[in-house]
Amino acid sequence: MSFHYEQCYPGPGGGSHFPGQGPTGGPYTAGMPLGGQYGGTAPPSAPPAPPGYEPYGGAAPPPGGQYAGDQAPGAPYGGYGQPQGGAYGQQPPGLGNVPPGVNPEAYQWFQSVDTDHSGCITLKELKQALVNSNWSAFNDETCLMMINMFDNTKSGRMDVFGFSALWNFLQQWRALFQQFDRDHSGCISGSELHQALSQMGYSLSPQFTQELAARHPPRGSMQLDRFIQVCTQLQSMTQAFRERDAAVTGSARISYEDFLSGAISRLV
Amino acid sequence: MAYQAYQSAQHNAPPDQSFLWNIFQRVDKDHSGAISDTELQQALSNGTWTPFNPVTIRSIISMFDRDNKGGVNFQEFGGVWKYITDWQNIFHTYDTDNSGFIDRNELKQALTCFGYRLSDQFYSILIERFDRQRKGQVAFDDFIHCCIALQRLTDMFRRYDTDQDGWIQVSYEQYLSMMFCVV
Repeated sequence: MSFHYEQCYPGPGGGSHFPGQGPTGGPYTAGMPLGGQYGGTAPPSAPPAPPGYEPYGGAAPPPGGQYAGDQAPGAPYGGYGQPQGGAYGQQPPGLGNVPPGVNPEAYQWFQSVDTDHSGCITLKELKQALVNSNWSAFNDETCLMMINMFDNTKSGRMDVFGFSALWNFLQQWRALFQQFDRDHSGCISGSELHQALSQMGYSLSPQFTQELAARHPPRGSMQLDRFIQVCTQLQSMTQAFRERDAAVTGSARISYEDFLSGAISRLV
Repeated sequence: MAYQAYQSAQHNAPPDQSFLWNIFQRVDKDHSGAISDTELQQALSNGTWTPFNPVTIRSIISMFDRDNKGGVNFQEFGGVWKYITDWQNIFHTYDTDNSGFIDRNELKQALTCFGYRLSDQFYSILIERFDRQRKGQVAFDDFIHCCIALQRLTDMFRRYDTDQDGWIQVSYEQYLSMMFCVV
Protein backbone atom coordinates (compact mmCIF):
# COMPACT_ATOMS: atom_id res chain seq x y z
CA MET A 1 0.00 0.00 0.00
CA SER A 2 1.45 3.31 -0.84
CA PHE A 3 0.51 6.51 0.81
CA HIS A 4 0.91 9.84 -0.78
CA TYR A 5 0.28 12.18 2.01
CA GLU A 6 2.99 14.44 0.79
CA GLN A 7 0.88 15.33 -2.19
CA CYS A 8 -1.69 16.65 0.18
CA TYR A 9 0.57 19.22 1.63
CA PRO A 10 0.99 21.79 -1.04
CA GLY A 11 1.83 24.38 1.53
CA PRO A 12 3.52 27.58 0.49
CA GLY A 13 7.19 26.92 0.06
CA GLY A 14 6.58 23.32 0.92
CA GLY A 15 7.16 24.11 4.56
CA SER A 16 3.76 24.51 6.06
CA HIS A 17 3.96 21.37 8.13
CA PHE A 18 4.26 23.22 11.33
CA PRO A 19 1.54 24.02 13.71
CA GLY A 20 0.59 27.40 14.83
CA GLN A 21 0.76 28.86 11.38
CA GLY A 22 -2.79 27.92 10.82
CA PRO A 23 -4.48 29.19 7.76
CA THR A 24 -3.32 32.62 6.81
CA GLY A 25 -5.48 35.21 5.22
CA GLY A 26 -9.00 35.06 4.06
CA PRO A 27 -12.14 34.13 5.83
CA TYR A 28 -10.58 31.10 7.47
CA THR A 29 -8.66 33.26 9.86
CA ALA A 30 -9.67 34.39 13.24
CA GLY A 31 -11.48 37.63 13.58
CA MET A 32 -14.50 36.35 11.80
CA PRO A 33 -17.49 35.76 13.94
CA LEU A 34 -17.97 32.09 14.54
CA GLY A 35 -20.84 30.60 12.68
CA GLY A 36 -20.57 33.40 10.22
CA GLN A 37 -19.79 32.67 6.65
CA TYR A 38 -19.06 29.03 7.35
CA GLY A 39 -21.55 28.54 10.05
CA GLY A 40 -24.13 26.05 10.63
CA THR A 41 -24.12 23.64 7.74
CA ALA A 42 -24.33 20.18 9.09
CA PRO A 43 -21.82 17.95 7.35
CA PRO A 44 -23.17 14.81 5.78
CA SER A 45 -22.26 11.54 7.32
CA ALA A 46 -20.16 9.01 5.53
CA PRO A 47 -22.16 6.66 3.38
CA PRO A 48 -21.59 2.96 3.48
CA ALA A 49 -20.19 1.85 0.19
CA PRO A 50 -22.76 -0.41 -1.40
CA PRO A 51 -21.63 -3.12 -3.72
CA GLY A 52 -22.45 -2.90 -7.36
CA TYR A 53 -22.13 0.02 -9.66
CA GLU A 54 -23.78 3.34 -9.41
CA PRO A 55 -21.37 5.22 -11.56
CA TYR A 56 -21.42 8.87 -12.07
CA GLY A 57 -21.95 10.63 -15.32
CA GLY A 58 -23.11 7.65 -17.27
CA ALA A 59 -26.33 7.13 -17.52
CA ALA A 60 -8.97 2.63 21.38
CA PRO A 61 -7.45 3.67 24.38
CA PRO A 62 -9.32 4.89 27.53
CA PRO A 63 -9.29 8.61 28.00
CA GLY A 64 -8.21 10.64 30.87
CA GLY A 65 -4.78 9.40 31.84
CA GLN A 66 -3.04 12.19 33.63
CA TYR A 67 0.32 13.26 32.44
CA ALA A 68 2.40 10.85 34.37
CA GLY A 69 3.85 12.81 37.20
CA ASP A 70 5.32 16.07 36.20
CA GLN A 71 7.61 14.88 33.53
CA ALA A 72 10.14 16.90 31.75
CA PRO A 73 9.36 18.07 28.25
CA GLY A 74 9.26 15.13 25.95
CA ALA A 75 6.92 13.34 28.27
CA PRO A 76 3.99 12.40 26.04
CA TYR A 77 6.29 10.50 23.81
CA GLY A 78 8.75 9.84 26.51
CA GLY A 79 8.63 6.07 26.60
CA TYR A 80 11.67 5.52 24.50
CA GLY A 81 14.25 5.39 27.19
CA GLN A 82 15.77 8.71 26.49
CA PRO A 83 17.10 10.32 29.65
CA GLN A 84 14.53 12.87 30.67
CA GLY A 85 15.45 16.47 30.62
CA GLY A 86 18.74 15.87 28.94
CA ALA A 87 20.08 19.38 28.76
CA TYR A 88 21.95 20.63 25.78
CA GLY A 89 24.92 21.32 28.02
CA GLN A 90 25.68 17.80 29.02
CA GLN A 91 27.34 16.08 26.16
CA PRO A 92 26.02 12.56 25.85
CA PRO A 93 28.34 10.03 24.29
CA GLY A 94 28.37 9.93 20.55
CA LEU A 95 27.17 13.45 20.10
CA GLY A 96 30.33 14.39 18.33
CA ASN A 97 28.87 12.82 15.20
CA VAL A 98 25.73 14.92 15.00
CA PRO A 99 25.26 15.80 11.34
CA PRO A 100 25.03 19.49 10.58
CA GLY A 101 21.57 20.92 10.93
CA VAL A 102 20.36 18.10 13.13
CA ASN A 103 19.12 18.87 16.60
CA PRO A 104 21.45 17.04 19.07
CA GLU A 105 18.52 15.83 21.14
CA ALA A 106 16.80 14.57 18.03
CA TYR A 107 20.03 12.86 17.04
CA GLN A 108 20.29 11.11 20.35
CA TRP A 109 16.67 10.04 20.15
CA PHE A 110 17.19 8.84 16.59
CA GLN A 111 19.92 6.47 17.78
CA SER A 112 17.65 4.85 20.31
CA VAL A 113 14.61 4.68 18.01
CA ASP A 114 16.59 3.18 15.15
CA THR A 115 16.67 -0.15 16.93
CA ASP A 116 18.10 -2.09 14.00
CA HIS A 117 20.73 0.62 13.37
CA SER A 118 19.82 0.81 9.73
CA GLY A 119 20.20 4.57 9.66
CA CYS A 120 16.53 4.91 8.87
CA ILE A 121 13.38 4.90 10.96
CA THR A 122 10.62 2.61 9.77
CA LEU A 123 6.94 2.90 10.57
CA LYS A 124 7.31 0.12 13.12
CA GLU A 125 10.25 1.79 14.85
CA LEU A 126 8.49 5.12 14.96
CA LYS A 127 5.34 3.58 16.36
CA GLN A 128 7.33 1.92 19.11
CA ALA A 129 8.93 5.21 20.00
CA LEU A 130 5.85 7.38 20.32
CA VAL A 131 3.31 7.21 23.09
CA ASN A 132 0.45 9.43 24.15
CA SER A 133 0.08 10.82 27.63
CA ASN A 134 -1.97 7.77 28.63
CA TRP A 135 0.87 5.55 27.39
CA SER A 136 -1.09 4.29 24.42
CA ALA A 137 1.01 3.92 21.28
CA PHE A 138 0.56 6.44 18.53
CA ASN A 139 -1.94 5.17 16.00
CA ASP A 140 -0.70 3.87 12.65
CA GLU A 141 -2.32 6.58 10.57
CA THR A 142 -0.61 9.39 12.41
CA CYS A 143 2.76 7.65 12.29
CA LEU A 144 2.34 6.98 8.59
CA MET A 145 1.27 10.52 7.94
CA MET A 146 4.33 11.87 9.71
CA ILE A 147 6.70 9.51 7.94
CA ASN A 148 5.28 10.61 4.62
CA MET A 149 5.65 14.23 5.63
CA PHE A 150 9.28 13.92 6.67
CA ASP A 151 10.49 11.14 4.43
CA ASN A 152 12.87 13.16 2.29
CA THR A 153 14.16 9.97 0.75
CA LYS A 154 10.74 8.90 -0.58
CA SER A 155 11.49 5.41 0.65
CA GLY A 156 8.79 5.18 3.28
CA ARG A 157 11.44 5.62 5.96
CA MET A 158 13.03 8.61 7.62
CA ASP A 159 16.70 9.43 7.74
CA VAL A 160 18.22 11.48 10.54
CA PHE A 161 17.50 14.79 8.82
CA GLY A 162 13.84 14.02 8.31
CA PHE A 163 13.72 12.73 11.83
CA SER A 164 15.18 15.94 13.20
CA ALA A 165 12.47 17.90 11.41
CA LEU A 166 9.87 15.51 12.81
CA TRP A 167 11.32 16.09 16.27
CA ASN A 168 10.74 19.83 15.97
CA PHE A 169 7.27 19.20 14.57
CA LEU A 170 6.39 16.97 17.51
CA GLN A 171 7.81 19.38 20.07
CA GLN A 172 5.66 22.16 18.71
CA TRP A 173 2.51 20.09 18.56
CA ARG A 174 3.10 18.74 22.03
CA ALA A 175 3.49 22.24 23.40
CA LEU A 176 0.26 23.28 21.70
CA PHE A 177 -1.50 20.18 22.94
CA GLN A 178 -0.51 20.91 26.52
CA GLN A 179 -1.50 24.51 26.14
CA PHE A 180 -4.95 23.62 24.83
CA ASP A 181 -5.50 20.80 27.29
CA ARG A 182 -6.77 23.34 29.76
CA ASP A 183 -7.98 20.91 32.39
CA HIS A 184 -4.75 18.88 32.15
CA SER A 185 -6.71 15.72 31.56
CA GLY A 186 -4.13 14.46 29.08
CA CYS A 187 -6.60 14.69 26.24
CA ILE A 188 -8.35 17.36 24.22
CA SER A 189 -12.10 17.50 24.58
CA GLY A 190 -14.48 18.76 21.93
CA SER A 191 -14.69 22.20 23.49
CA GLU A 192 -10.93 22.35 23.95
CA LEU A 193 -10.51 21.44 20.30
CA HIS A 194 -12.87 24.21 19.34
CA GLN A 195 -10.86 26.73 21.33
CA ALA A 196 -7.62 25.37 19.94
CA LEU A 197 -8.72 25.62 16.34
CA SER A 198 -10.14 29.09 16.88
CA GLN A 199 -6.83 30.22 18.29
CA MET A 200 -4.99 28.66 15.39
CA GLY A 201 -7.11 30.82 13.13
CA TYR A 202 -9.83 28.49 11.93
CA SER A 203 -13.40 29.69 11.90
CA LEU A 204 -15.37 26.53 12.33
CA SER A 205 -18.79 26.06 13.83
CA PRO A 206 -18.94 24.36 17.23
CA GLN A 207 -20.96 21.53 15.69
CA PHE A 208 -18.31 20.92 13.09
CA THR A 209 -15.54 20.85 15.68
CA GLN A 210 -17.55 18.51 17.87
CA GLU A 211 -17.94 16.11 14.99
CA LEU A 212 -14.25 16.35 14.30
CA ALA A 213 -13.44 15.50 17.89
CA ALA A 214 -15.88 12.61 17.80
CA ARG A 215 -14.48 11.04 14.65
CA HIS A 216 -12.21 8.61 16.41
CA PRO A 217 -12.83 6.56 19.53
CA PRO A 218 -12.87 7.30 22.37
CA ARG A 219 -15.47 9.71 21.17
CA GLY A 220 -15.14 13.28 22.17
CA SER A 221 -11.60 13.30 23.46
CA MET A 222 -8.37 13.22 21.57
CA GLN A 223 -4.96 12.03 22.53
CA LEU A 224 -1.90 13.76 21.13
CA ASP A 225 -1.72 11.48 18.08
CA ARG A 226 -5.27 12.23 16.93
CA PHE A 227 -4.83 15.89 17.68
CA ILE A 228 -1.78 16.03 15.44
CA GLN A 229 -3.53 13.99 12.77
CA VAL A 230 -6.69 16.06 12.69
CA CYS A 231 -4.91 19.41 12.83
CA THR A 232 -2.50 18.43 10.07
CA GLN A 233 -5.30 17.17 7.87
CA LEU A 234 -7.31 20.28 8.52
CA GLN A 235 -4.35 22.41 7.58
CA SER A 236 -3.87 20.70 4.24
CA MET A 237 -7.58 20.55 3.44
CA THR A 238 -7.94 24.24 4.19
CA GLN A 239 -5.02 24.93 1.92
CA ALA A 240 -6.65 22.85 -0.83
CA PHE A 241 -9.94 24.65 -0.37
CA ARG A 242 -8.28 28.01 -0.47
CA GLU A 243 -6.68 27.15 -3.78
CA ARG A 244 -10.17 26.53 -5.12
CA ASP A 245 -11.62 29.66 -3.57
CA ALA A 246 -9.34 32.21 -5.14
CA ALA A 247 -11.82 35.02 -4.62
CA VAL A 248 -12.08 34.14 -0.93
CA THR A 249 -15.84 33.96 -0.99
CA GLY A 250 -16.03 31.00 1.36
CA SER A 251 -17.46 28.85 -1.37
CA ALA A 252 -15.69 26.86 -4.05
CA ARG A 253 -16.74 25.44 -7.38
CA ILE A 254 -15.21 22.03 -7.86
CA SER A 255 -15.37 19.67 -10.81
CA TYR A 256 -15.94 15.94 -10.50
CA GLU A 257 -12.39 14.98 -11.47
CA ASP A 258 -10.84 17.67 -9.34
CA PHE A 259 -12.77 16.35 -6.39
CA LEU A 260 -11.79 12.76 -7.17
CA SER A 261 -8.12 13.61 -7.55
CA GLY A 262 -8.02 15.49 -4.29
CA ALA A 263 -9.93 12.81 -2.44
CA ILE A 264 -7.95 9.90 -3.87
CA SER A 265 -4.67 11.43 -2.76
CA ARG A 266 -6.02 11.47 0.79
CA LEU A 267 -7.39 7.94 0.81
CA VAL A 268 -5.73 5.71 3.31
CA MET B 1 -7.84 -15.84 -6.31
CA ALA B 2 -8.25 -18.69 -3.96
CA TYR B 3 -10.37 -21.73 -4.48
CA GLN B 4 -9.67 -22.09 -8.12
CA ALA B 5 -10.89 -25.64 -7.80
CA TYR B 6 -14.31 -24.24 -7.21
CA GLN B 7 -14.28 -21.85 -10.07
CA SER B 8 -16.52 -23.93 -12.24
CA ALA B 9 -19.17 -23.78 -9.58
CA GLN B 10 -19.15 -20.00 -9.52
CA HIS B 11 -20.61 -19.60 -12.92
CA ASN B 12 -23.66 -21.61 -12.05
CA ALA B 13 -26.52 -20.71 -9.80
CA PRO B 14 -25.73 -19.43 -6.31
CA PRO B 15 -23.65 -22.01 -4.48
CA ASP B 16 -25.60 -24.22 -2.14
CA GLN B 17 -25.31 -23.93 1.62
CA SER B 18 -23.23 -27.04 2.20
CA PHE B 19 -20.71 -25.84 -0.37
CA LEU B 20 -20.46 -22.48 1.37
CA TRP B 21 -20.34 -24.07 4.80
CA ASN B 22 -17.42 -26.18 3.72
CA ILE B 23 -15.51 -23.10 2.63
CA PHE B 24 -16.58 -21.07 5.61
CA GLN B 25 -15.21 -23.63 8.01
CA ARG B 26 -11.89 -23.73 6.24
CA VAL B 27 -11.52 -19.98 6.17
CA ASP B 28 -12.64 -19.57 9.78
CA LYS B 29 -9.39 -20.99 11.06
CA ASP B 30 -9.96 -20.29 14.74
CA HIS B 31 -13.53 -21.69 14.52
CA SER B 32 -14.92 -18.60 16.16
CA GLY B 33 -17.98 -18.63 13.93
CA ALA B 34 -16.91 -15.40 12.27
CA ILE B 35 -14.33 -14.68 9.61
CA SER B 36 -11.96 -11.90 10.57
CA ASP B 37 -9.95 -9.60 8.31
CA THR B 38 -6.86 -11.74 8.80
CA GLU B 39 -8.69 -14.96 8.03
CA LEU B 40 -10.21 -13.57 4.86
CA GLN B 41 -6.88 -12.09 3.84
CA GLN B 42 -5.17 -15.45 4.24
CA ALA B 43 -7.84 -17.14 2.17
CA LEU B 44 -7.64 -14.78 -0.77
CA SER B 45 -4.93 -14.36 -3.33
CA ASN B 46 -4.39 -11.43 -5.68
CA GLY B 47 -2.53 -13.53 -8.21
CA THR B 48 0.89 -12.66 -6.85
CA TRP B 49 2.73 -13.76 -3.76
CA THR B 50 1.98 -10.54 -1.95
CA PRO B 51 -0.70 -10.35 0.76
CA PHE B 52 -4.17 -9.34 -0.33
CA ASN B 53 -4.77 -5.61 0.06
CA PRO B 54 -5.88 -5.15 3.68
CA VAL B 55 -7.90 -2.06 2.76
CA THR B 56 -9.93 -4.10 0.28
CA ILE B 57 -10.46 -6.77 2.93
CA ARG B 58 -11.67 -4.19 5.43
CA SER B 59 -14.07 -2.70 2.88
CA ILE B 60 -15.55 -6.06 2.04
CA ILE B 61 -15.93 -7.22 5.62
CA SER B 62 -17.48 -3.95 6.75
CA MET B 63 -19.89 -4.11 3.82
CA PHE B 64 -21.37 -7.40 4.99
CA ASP B 65 -20.75 -7.23 8.74
CA ARG B 66 -24.21 -6.00 9.70
CA ASP B 67 -23.81 -5.61 13.44
CA ASN B 68 -20.27 -4.28 13.43
CA LYS B 69 -18.70 -7.26 15.15
CA GLY B 70 -15.50 -7.01 13.13
CA GLY B 71 -16.08 -10.13 11.05
CA VAL B 72 -18.69 -11.99 9.02
CA ASN B 73 -20.71 -14.94 10.24
CA PHE B 74 -21.87 -17.78 8.03
CA GLN B 75 -25.07 -16.06 6.95
CA GLU B 76 -23.17 -12.97 5.89
CA PHE B 77 -20.44 -15.02 4.28
CA GLY B 78 -22.76 -15.96 1.43
CA GLY B 79 -22.82 -12.31 0.43
CA VAL B 80 -19.06 -12.00 0.73
CA TRP B 81 -18.55 -15.05 -1.42
CA LYS B 82 -20.85 -13.79 -4.15
CA TYR B 83 -19.33 -10.33 -4.00
CA ILE B 84 -15.81 -11.62 -4.47
CA THR B 85 -16.68 -14.04 -7.23
CA ASP B 86 -18.60 -11.30 -9.03
CA TRP B 87 -15.49 -9.15 -8.87
CA GLN B 88 -13.42 -12.04 -10.05
CA ASN B 89 -15.60 -12.46 -13.10
CA ILE B 90 -15.45 -8.76 -13.82
CA PHE B 91 -11.68 -8.80 -13.44
CA HIS B 92 -11.32 -11.68 -15.88
CA THR B 93 -13.65 -9.99 -18.33
CA TYR B 94 -11.54 -6.86 -18.52
CA ASP B 95 -8.14 -8.49 -18.19
CA THR B 96 -8.33 -9.07 -21.90
CA ASP B 97 -4.72 -10.18 -22.29
CA ASN B 98 -5.05 -12.56 -19.32
CA SER B 99 -1.99 -11.07 -17.70
CA GLY B 100 -3.50 -11.26 -14.24
CA PHE B 101 -3.34 -7.47 -14.09
CA ILE B 102 -5.52 -4.68 -15.34
CA ASP B 103 -3.44 -2.23 -17.29
CA ARG B 104 -4.31 1.32 -18.09
CA ASN B 105 -6.29 0.54 -21.24
CA GLU B 106 -8.14 -2.30 -19.58
CA LEU B 107 -8.96 -0.07 -16.63
CA LYS B 108 -10.28 2.56 -18.97
CA GLN B 109 -12.44 0.02 -20.74
CA ALA B 110 -13.78 -1.36 -17.50
CA LEU B 111 -14.60 1.97 -15.91
CA THR B 112 -16.08 3.30 -19.13
CA CYS B 113 -18.36 0.27 -19.27
CA PHE B 114 -19.34 0.92 -15.67
CA GLY B 115 -20.45 4.35 -16.79
CA TYR B 116 -17.59 6.55 -15.68
CA ARG B 117 -16.42 9.32 -17.96
CA LEU B 118 -12.88 10.13 -16.97
CA SER B 119 -10.02 11.87 -18.73
CA ASP B 120 -6.87 10.07 -19.83
CA GLN B 121 -4.94 12.10 -17.33
CA PHE B 122 -7.14 10.85 -14.57
CA TYR B 123 -6.43 7.22 -15.47
CA SER B 124 -2.77 7.94 -14.83
CA ILE B 125 -3.69 9.25 -11.39
CA LEU B 126 -5.76 6.14 -10.70
CA ILE B 127 -3.01 3.74 -11.72
CA GLU B 128 -0.42 5.69 -9.79
CA ARG B 129 -2.58 5.67 -6.69
CA PHE B 130 -3.89 2.11 -6.67
CA ASP B 131 -1.02 0.14 -8.13
CA ARG B 132 0.55 -1.19 -4.94
CA GLN B 133 2.93 -3.45 -6.81
CA ARG B 134 4.44 -0.58 -8.78
CA LYS B 135 3.99 -2.39 -12.06
CA GLY B 136 2.06 0.31 -13.86
CA GLN B 137 -1.06 -1.86 -13.70
CA VAL B 138 -3.38 -3.03 -10.97
CA ALA B 139 -3.79 -6.47 -9.44
CA PHE B 140 -7.14 -8.02 -8.51
CA ASP B 141 -7.24 -6.70 -4.94
CA ASP B 142 -6.20 -3.20 -5.94
CA PHE B 143 -8.71 -3.19 -8.77
CA ILE B 144 -11.51 -3.87 -6.28
CA HIS B 145 -10.12 -1.19 -3.98
CA CYS B 146 -10.00 1.28 -6.85
CA CYS B 147 -13.57 0.58 -7.94
CA ILE B 148 -14.98 0.72 -4.41
CA ALA B 149 -13.19 3.99 -3.72
CA LEU B 150 -14.28 5.53 -6.98
CA GLN B 151 -17.86 4.58 -6.38
CA ARG B 152 -17.87 5.86 -2.83
CA LEU B 153 -16.36 9.20 -3.85
CA THR B 154 -18.72 9.49 -6.78
CA ASP B 155 -21.71 8.91 -4.53
CA MET B 156 -20.40 11.57 -2.19
CA PHE B 157 -19.93 14.04 -5.03
CA ARG B 158 -23.32 13.28 -6.45
CA ARG B 159 -25.12 14.21 -3.30
CA TYR B 160 -23.85 17.74 -3.74
CA ASP B 161 -24.17 17.82 -7.51
CA THR B 162 -27.91 18.24 -7.46
CA ASP B 163 -28.19 19.43 -11.04
CA GLN B 164 -25.89 16.61 -12.23
CA ASP B 165 -23.64 18.84 -14.29
CA GLY B 166 -20.35 17.50 -12.92
CA TRP B 167 -19.65 20.56 -10.81
CA ILE B 168 -20.39 21.27 -7.20
CA GLN B 169 -20.48 24.49 -5.25
CA VAL B 170 -19.50 23.84 -1.66
CA SER B 171 -18.80 25.91 1.40
CA TYR B 172 -15.61 25.60 3.42
CA GLU B 173 -17.16 23.33 6.03
CA GLN B 174 -18.92 21.23 3.42
CA TYR B 175 -15.61 20.73 1.67
CA LEU B 176 -13.90 19.78 4.91
CA SER B 177 -16.70 17.36 5.74
CA MET B 178 -16.33 15.66 2.39
CA MET B 179 -12.58 15.35 2.78
CA PHE B 180 -12.77 14.13 6.36
CA CYS B 181 -15.18 11.44 5.20
CA VAL B 182 -12.44 10.27 2.87
CA VAL B 183 -9.51 10.09 5.25
